[in-house]
Amino acid sequence: MTVVNRGALAAVAAGAAALAVAAVVAVVSRPAGDVGAEQAAALASPTPSTSGPAVPVAPGTLPDDAEPVRPVGLRIPSIEVTARVDPVGVDERTQEFDVPPSVDQVGWYRYGPGLEAESGSVVIAGHVDSAEQGRGAFYRLRELAPGDTVTATGEDGTERTYRVVAREEYDKTKIPLERYFARDGRPRLTLITCGGPFDADARRYRDNIVVTASPV
Amino acid sequence: MQFAHLRRVAAGGAVAALTFAGVGVATATPAYAANSKVSVVHGIPDTPVDVYVNGEKTLENFAPGDVAGPLDLPEGQYDIALTKPGEPIGQAILTADDAEVPGGANISIAAHLDADGQPTITPFVNDTAKVDAGKARLIVRHTAAAPAVDVRAGGSPVFEDLTNPNEAKGDVDAGNVSADVVLAGTDTVVIGPADLNLREGTATIVYATGSAEAENLAVVAQTIDGLHSAPSGVPSGTGGQADTGLGTWWYALAGTGLLLLVVGGARVVVVRSGRR
Repeated sequence: MTVVNRGALAAVAAGAAALAVAAVVAVVSRPAGDVGAEQAAALASPTPSTSGPAVPVAPGTLPDDAEPVRPVGLRIPSIEVTARVDPVGVDERTQEFDVPPSVDQVGWYRYGPGLEAESGSVVIAGHVDSAEQGRGAFYRLRELAPGDTVTATGEDGTERTYRVVAREEYDKTKIPLERYFARDGRPRLTLITCGGPFDADARRYRDNIVVTASPV
Repeated sequence: MQFAHLRRVAAGGAVAALTFAGVGVATATPAYAANSKVSVVHGIPDTPVDVYVNGEKTLENFAPGDVAGPLDLPEGQYDIALTKPGEPIGQAILTADDAEVPGGANISIAAHLDADGQPTITPFVNDTAKVDAGKARLIVRHTAAAPAVDVRAGGSPVFEDLTNPNEAKGDVDAGNVSADVVLAGTDTVVIGPADLNLREGTATIVYATGSAEAENLAVVAQTIDGLHSAPSGVPSGTGGQADTGLGTWWYALAGTGLLLLVVGGARVVVVRSGRR
């Protein structure tokens, strides 16, 4: 075998190896895919009203200042999450969910339902990671699968357990946020983080990962 | 609380939304007209009533300060009559004939005193447009026998020179605010102060009721919920460690691999054919 030929064969082998690695990476990094999307949608459909023929009459008192039961802690054993939950609202300027800057904490949407609510979506969002702080509390959220349990501890000390029914991935420009921030429909816990391809220039992920869980 | 921008709204905040008796024929009814939500607000002190709609008793012994509804009413014209409890409709103390209810609206019909202290009925169309995430809508309606007033929040006027039977409104940050009502342009408090819990995604409608002369000024409140908006997005990652996209290095690797395959393969072919 000539030297030239050996070199050419080596190039072929190296090329094949590179392609194989690329193929493996492509397969491994494929989005985990959606599971339970239909169940998540069903939970969001409005509950039928039960108003009878009688006209409801109520005293016209000023609204009371009853506060929802806010979650203070979140545990997801299957992905080894134990995180503090902070009450958060929206960013004044962008109107975006005000995810806690500290990536080991997650944020509960304080304008939405609390843990005691009998309808609607309790929303907790957290960082998948950050450029400065590394991996966030919800780094492995995309690994959650139907049946996994999520436990939220309320400020009242009560623990409430939820079972994952769906995990979905949406392009941020197409995610139906109204459904995940709904205050009607079946009571449910919605966990949100970022995912999908990362745009290194804009420093943002293309997608949101959304996990829906039902009270056990 | 940012109320400063609301003053503009207050100036022209009148809503004489529905037309009453004498308007004549209703406009052609669209085939698919949606029902309207209609609430009834009782703001006449010391006068419980029965409420008749189109001659039918709809509310019995409806007490001052109470809010009834919402009722689902199809678009059309309605005759409203208030009687003393148990008395026949012929002896109504207050009537509004041919009250126009438009389709698909949210309406509050207030029975209250006019500026001179006479009982009257005023319909208001409620602004049920969505509020931005984090906001609440405050609507104040002057339905009391009292002169023009200012509404203050945290001590500074937010709605100025509001007169009977008009409203002022604005979208504000949700949360608690201490509010009172003063005679317009003065510091003379006539109602309050009261703590208002303005819930996010709701409209809180506050009616000033009663009579300054009789010293029974009070407030009646009505809340409309479901006006919330979702946040505009959930930005929750800036690191890129969880990137599932195929980066430029991947394309470089795949491209190099392909190149090596092609070039190397060609060389093999060339060398072999040369040997032949």
